[in-house]
Amino acid sequence: MTAVKADNIYFSYRSYSEEDDRPESVSKALDGLSIEIGKGEYVAVLGPNGSGKSTLAKLIDVLGMPDEGKLAVLGYDSKDRDHFWDIRENCAYVFQNPDNQLIGTIVEEDVAFGPENLGVPLPELRERVDRALEYVGLKDLAKRQTATLSGGQKQKLAVAGALAMEPEILILDESTSMLDPQSREELLEIVGKINREKKTTVINITHDMNEAAGCDRAFVIENGKVTLSGRPYEIFADRKAASGSGLMCPVYVDLAFEIAALAGKESLDPDTIINEETCSDFLSDLLLNISASCEVPAPVSADDPARDVILSVRNLDHTYENSEEKVLDDFSLDIMRGEILAVVGRSGCGKTTLISHLNGILKPSSGDVVFFTPDKRELHAGNKKDLRELRKHVGLLFQYPEYQLFEETIYKDIGYGLKVLDIDEKDRDKLIRQAADAAGFPQEMLDRSPFEMSGGRKRRAAIAGVLVMKPDVLVLDEPASGLDPRGRIEMFSMLGQLKAAGTTVVLVSHNMDEAQRYADRICIIRDGKAAVTGRPGDIFENEGKARSLGLAMPSLFVFSEMIQKKTAAALPGILWEKHGRTPADEAAAMVRSIIRYRREHDV
Amino acid sequence: MFKDISLGKYYETDSVIHKADPRIKFVLYIVYVVAIFTVRTIPGLIALTGVTLLMFIAAKIPPSVMWSSVKPVVPIAVFIFIINILSIRSGKILWEWGMIKVTDESLFKAFLMMMRLLFLIVITSILLTLTTTPLKISDALEKLFGPLKKIRVPVHEVAMMMSIALRFIPTLTEEAQKIMKAQVSRGADFDTGSFVRRLKGYVTVIIPLFVSSFKRADELATAMDARCYRGGEGRTKLNPLRIVPADILTGFLLLAGAAVIFIIR
Repeated sequence: MTAVKADNIYFSYRSYSEEDDRPESVSKALDGLSIEIGKGEYVAVLGPNGSGKSTLAKLIDVLGMPDEGKLAVLGYDSKDRDHFWDIRENCAYVFQNPDNQLIGTIVEEDVAFGPENLGVPLPELRERVDRALEYVGLKDLAKRQTATLSGGQKQKLAVAGALAMEPEILILDESTSMLDPQSREELLEIVGKINREKKTTVINITHDMNEAAGCDRAFVIENGKVTLSGRPYEIFADRKAASGSGLMCPVYVDLAFEIAALAGKESLDPDTIINEETCSDFLSDLLLNISASCEVPAPVSADDPARDVILSVRNLDHTYENSEEKVLDDFSLDIMRGEILAVVGRSGCGKTTLISHLNGILKPSSGDVVFFTPDKRELHAGNKKDLRELRKHVGLLFQYPEYQLFEETIYKDIGYGLKVLDIDEKDRDKLIRQAADAAGFPQEMLDRSPFEMSGGRKRRAAIAGVLVMKPDVLVLDEPASGLDPRGRIEMFSMLGQLKAAGTTVVLVSHNMDEAQRYADRICIIRDGKAAVTGRPGDIFENEGKARSLGLAMPSLFVFSEMIQKKTAAALPGILWEKHGRTPADEAAAMVRSIIRYRREHDV
Repeated sequence: MFKDISLGKYYETDSVIHKADPRIKFVLYIVYVVAIFTVRTIPGLIALTGVTLLMFIAAKIPPSVMWSSVKPVVPIAVFIFIINILSIRSGKILWEWGMIKVTDESLFKAFLMMMRLLFLIVITSILLTLTTTPLKISDALEKLFGPLKKIRVPVHEVAMMMSIALRFIPTLTEEAQKIMKAQVSRGADFDTGSFVRRLKGYVTVIIPLFVSSFKRADELATAMDARCYRGGEGRTKLNPLRIVPADILTGFLLLAGAAVIFIIR
């Protein structure tokens, strides 16, 4: 039985002129797309932003109808008016932004919204609501206000609302993209359970390849067409096509390809990378049989850590209004000139509170934040006189900074801070253009309105609006959230360029993998304190050390230690080199360790 | 400025007032509003204070929560007090300085006006906003004005719009604060500088807030569509309004309180 069958469907968004209702512009979203999804399947839909993934999902839920081609959902033609409600009542849709899909003020009222619309009568309605809340683990919060829930809880609530409608198809439209890793995992676990226990068909639109790896099948959509489809590992094995489609593979697949390349293999059999287990077996065999003559790059030398302090956080305390608990508790941290520092911690651990102190948006109630100017003066965040100058030196961007754009053109918006400072027009123009370049925003689009461009562009414009003040320290809260894989890579490479140009970068993240890969140092916040601070290679030197610090290892290191354990059984007493930053470094380090072992033990 | 908005801030607890049927509360609320404006003597004010105090205790609202909904209105109340003192010129002069005359009558009337406003806020909070979820208020309005559907007044739609507006107040308040912080770090000025400069600061918050509200509205509409919303026809309710004997008793007691105020005035 098929749940969804699309046959060569087309769909375009049209905007109409306000005066005479004539179509003004047409943008193609689906361009001859065909897809077939079986009942009870769990599929991932991948592809860059703007490729038509959400459009497809909306057409499945008859929130629109294809312009051409035939789309059948649960056996009904989506254009058949008689079966409109048969389709929609059996499809549930969980959107990306938790705040924009909750209708009820109280948790249980929100869950009931769907079944109320279906006209489910009372004793059953109450049962459905209670069951759905129980299923997602929110039973205790049934009477709470929706506005007081955390992002992860809100999204679970949205899933409960979907579940209460007892759908046959559950669509997740980037539903995990605004969540922290733990909430994401919990949500996916619930969705997996729904799929297994209730045999609900799940269509998960996502940018996260680890999510995709756990699905039955994956589809890649690009420019309104399905370009790749198959089991997730089959897609990952076709590396050229996958990277051409802007996909990032799970880290274990990346490492597998790097090790294989050193062993002289250019391609991998999909069956060897089904999951981490099969893949680590295969790689440990490959490593044991690696030829002594293979060419391994020399170790990458680490940069000189000796730098001076640029920003010093000293014994900061912070307590929210109407709360007893300290978010920051005697928090101290030195930020070094010219480094990329990642501040990592769980949601609600005080990351945002910390960075709000860095440029004096929050006044330290006890403790201090001190900035050292290039000419060795000290600026104190607790000192009102210093605030203005401090904010010029320390630029701050909150999460989703694109929401702060307000001028009619990007050019004016970037220049806003300069205008407030009364800088004359000629200098302003130069600075605005430099800032646009530094943030990777195209010069020719500076005269456009911020409200007519893609999210990624808007974010760059917002970053340029802070860079224009030429800050010495740039502080960013989750700069890559909501971007697709390609956008994420570009964002981090932009931060790398800023660092190369001498800017100190502080980035807040809950993604340990990205912190490990892109940051020079990591600071982990726990219980309101800087629990661990150090280079990723040091704090994650090995699993034992990470565990003693109470940290979860980055996935690259977890996987490589899995291979090392399997390999070490055949090479007693082997000493492994320190973990590398990228999969390529890591692969080279492992191969070098094995070659050295052989040389030393004459095997 | 934004964080003081307490409209729609439901305070969850278990009290007689919380449990009472919102229709009864709403009708009695109207009665009390009329009662507040009929009070014109000191004994009347004392009666009003006594009844309000009893209601406040019955509602089990902590004083700090109550204060946070009254606080934003205090400046307006003080302003009304001053305006009334200055504008009422009859009665016995107690104090005089140039143009300014304070008479016993102006003092009393100004005090009365100020107290009426404060009581209006307190009673609105006790009977409606703090003790009744927005959804229940809109349910009550939908039911009370239900007969108007016959003359094609979109009662259900208006009630739905109202409850959504209330649902989004905390979300938008939070967003406004976030945007404000972001603009401050770009040099916007909300607290110091000239009036024009501050006003310009607020523009940088209001425009993004509007833009994002439209986006939210659009997404919310799609989400409601996806959850099969199709108007009030054929909808069931998880918590249908039902009047139980206890509600009648609560209603009767509240009515008695209002009657006392009416009699003493």
